[in-house]
Order: sequence, then C-alpha cells, then structure tokens
Amino acid sequence: MNHAIISCLHANLPAAEAVLNDIDRQGIDTITCLGDLVGYGPQPNEVVELIRKRDIPTCQGCWDEDIIDGLNACECSYPSQLAERRGHLAHQWTDDQLTDENKSFLASLPTSLRRDRLLFVHGSPNSQHEYLLPDMDAFAALERVETAGADILFCGHTHQPYVRELRDGSIRVRLQNADHDCDQGEELTLPMRKIVNAGSVGEPRHGSTNATYVIHNDATDEVEIKEVPYDVGRTCQAIVEAGLPKVFAWRLSHGFEFAEQAEDASHVCER
Amino acid sequence: MIERWALVSGLRGDLETYDLIQRDLKKTRGVTALFVLGDLVGPERNCDALLDRLKNPHRGDLKPDCIYGWWEEQLLAERGFRGERKADALRLSQGEDAVNVLLNTVNPSNLNWLASLQFGFIELDCALIHGSSSDVGDNLTSETSPLILLDRLTRLNVNRLFTARSTKQFHLELTGGGINSQVKDLNGKREQQQEVPKRSVIGIGAGLNYTLYDVGSDKTHFLTAGSQTKTKGMGFA
Ligand SMILES: [Zn+2]
Ligand SMILES: [Zn+2]
Repeated sequence: MNHAIISCLHANLPAAEAVLNDIDRQGIDTITCLGDLVGYGPQPNEVVELIRKRDIPTCQGCWDEDIIDGLNACECSYPSQLAERRGHLAHQWTDDQLTDENKSFLASLPTSLRRDRLLFVHGSPNSQHEYLLPDMDAFAALERVETAGADILFCGHTHQPYVRELRDGSIRVRLQNADHDCDQGEELTLPMRKIVNAGSVGEPRHGSTNATYVIHNDATDEVEIKEVPYDVGRTCQAIVEAGLPKVFAWRLSHGFEFAEQAEDASHVCER
Repeated sequence: MIERWALVSGLRGDLETYDLIQRDLKKTRGVTALFVLGDLVGPERNCDALLDRLKNPHRGDLKPDCIYGWWEEQLLAERGFRGERKADALRLSQGEDAVNVLLNTVNPSNLNWLASLQFGFIELDCALIHGSSSDVGDNLTSETSPLILLDRLTRLNVNRLFTARSTKQFHLELTGGGINSQVKDLNGKREQQQEVPKRSVIGIGAGLNYTLYDVGSDKTHFLTAGSQTKTKGMGFA
C-alpha cells in the first residue's frame, strides 16, 4: 500500500493545498505529517486548521515546539545573528497570529509516531532540532535509526528530500585489557536501514520552488520523491503583506538551496 | 614531553580513597596530569573535606583537573543551577529521600565551585567526559553496541573517549569494518563507502580503581590504589 509523508508546511497554504490535492488525485488516503506546520509563512492558522480538518497524524516540529515552549533553541540553530533576528521576528509574528485553540493543538502533538517498523519524527529521534543531512556520517545516521528500533526512519527538518539506504555495515572491535589478554577481535554485522527525508511542502530548499513530499510503498519499500508546483507568487505576496521579512519570500521564489542552518548541523541544542 | 595521565572518578566524597590514589601517583613515574572525571560527590558521606582538598591541593599533590559527573548534575539541578530541571533522574531511580540525602552531603558554599566545572575536556585527540557527548549519565561499557560507541566518538570528532559513568575499566578498540550508503535525491543517486575509523573508548573505573594512560604509546593501565600486585612494571620507585 502506498502512503504519503509530508513535512515542513510552514504556514504556506497554497503549497499545502497543492500537495494534498496531488496526494488525493493518486487515491492515497494514509498521510503522515512530520511537523513544522507554522513558521516563516503567512497562513499559520489556515494550515493548522487544514491538518486538523483532514485529521492527518502529525508529529511536532521544531517550530511547533518553539511556539509552545518559547524559543528553546539556542543561537546555535541560526547561521548568523541576522538570521536569528529574522527567525525571532517570524516567531513573534506567528505567536501573535495563532489562536489559542491552534496552539493547544500544536502542544498536543507527539514527538514521534510509530507504525510497526516505520518511525516518523521531525528532526531525529533525539530531537526536533537535530538535522539528519543526506551526507552525515553513515554510522551516526544508522545509529539514529537502530537506537530508535526502526527499520525505516522518516524525517524532515532539512527541507531537502532524500532517501538514504545504509547497508553492508560491520564494525570490528577488540578489547585491550590489562587483566585478561583477549586478543581476538569480534565483528558486529550491522542491519540494513533506511532514512527517508520528506523535504518540505511550504519552504523547499532543494534548488527549485516546487513543494516536495514522498510516497512510500510499504510492500516493496520503494520510495518516490514527489515535486508539486504551486502558486508561489500568492504566498510571497501574502508574506510581504503580513510584514514578515522579505527574505522569506525571496527564498521561496528561489527554492533557496543553500539552507540557512547552523554550520555544525549535527549540533543538538541541549537547552 | 612524554605525557602520562592519571584518570580518576567516582570518589563520591571519599577523601581516604583520594589520598591513597595521590600516594600511589607520588610513587609512579612520569604522571603529568590528573583528571577527575566527575562524581566527586555522592550520597554516602559528607563530601566537603574532599572538595576542599580538590580545590586546595596539599603540597606534593598532583593538581587535579575536575569535571562534573552524574551526581554533581543531580545536586546542581536540585539546587537550581540547571534552569527548570531538577534532580529528576535521581528522584526517579531512588526516590525523594535520596534527593534529600544528597543535598545534605555538600555545604552550599561549595556549590558555586561545583557549578563552575566543565562538562568535559578535549585534550589532543581525546575527549574526557563523565558519561559521553550525548549525556552525563550515558552508561558506556565494553558491552555497549559498537555502533553507539562509534556515534559518541563521532559526535566529538575525537579518536579516544574516556568515560567513567559505568565505573568499569575497559579499553575497547574499533579496529575495522565499514558501511555502504546510497543517497537518492532529486539530482539522482550516489554511492558512498565509509570505513570504521581507528578509535577507542576507555572506561577508567571508579573509586580505588583508576587508570593510567600513556598518551604517546596509547597504552592504558588499570590500577587499584593501595594494592601493590598490579603495579609491577609500572615504574614505581
Ligand atoms: Zn521545517
Ligand atoms: Zn524544523
């Protein structure tokens, strides 16, 4: 059976509607959302209400968490002070706009969802703020999936869709001990695992303006990355009209590929 | 200079043990540094005398460099040094009484000094941490999945991780292996191969059990303070 995974809608209603239409057209009725319903974009209430109305199982994203808990992430989440100021501005604006009801909905979201051997999270199983980038250390990537007890890990947060297969792994170890000399090593064979990043519906950063999401077939484990064009101009205009930083509109209209994120993407904020 | 480190943890207020270790070290050739990897305090006894000695070493003591451990974390959290977090881990595992006992083992005048201690040291290509980069309570042993050990090393980008939380003494080397990965994105597919880097995780022990590490030759020696049996060949005078 095919099911769809969407992430990072970021208060972009035209993009969210276009993607849901695309999914509906294919007759797929199981959809999972990996969070970041709000932030950056101009229609936070509309997007939250759309997800609520459609009753789509959703994990809490980093923006959803920050709106509820206050800005918990340390400056490390931002590549520069300017980006941080813009982020704070968007946070404040979103906080002012969101209705109490929609805020409590965001607060009620779980940090992960599990269906059998499939695990759904926003950033990583460790944190909504951790980036699992496509080229991160392969062992560290496998550790995230394995420690979480999943075969396939679905995540978002990087805004760049990808499918990563980790296989034929092994680690040899040897115990060096003063007490008893055991010189023979041991070899651990690592299981095959997959990480699927759903990209971003409402704030794509993969080099094109199209919204992205993924379809997974749970019988064959095939994953397809889907691109959906939508009316970018409408969202950009709404961003400017809302008084949000114009750079957000610029980024949308370019599909900004140089993701604005901290230099050390593996850093996990501990605050 | 040839470096030889002494690594100690889990003193938990036991000045007598610390004194025995200092005496051992005085008899050991070439020790250039003493690292105390946390759990200076603990619930068993009043810890102020040990803390005073660590802060103000006796003449002839090897000067200790200390970091905080799991017990300090519990104490400091409960005393309001960790934002909204409290001694939740201790409360959960041992109950309210245990928290109160811990609070009474350290004079409040020592709290600021404890709060000034760092989470860990990076020396050369070695990380010295009570638990791991993931958490001060991370309980790494030689039985821990090598995948997790490798992850903890990778997070710090070091070749050696010295850990104390498990109280065990071990020196586990990652000697080989690899992994293949294939990434598919909108630009196509690419394959990557990665080798297991030569790295190791070293458990330094606790209390009387401490570790000497010869940095140049990457050799560990697991010792017990006050015992003469294991000290052969260690350059004791
Ligand atoms: Zn996002
Ligand atoms: Zn995010």
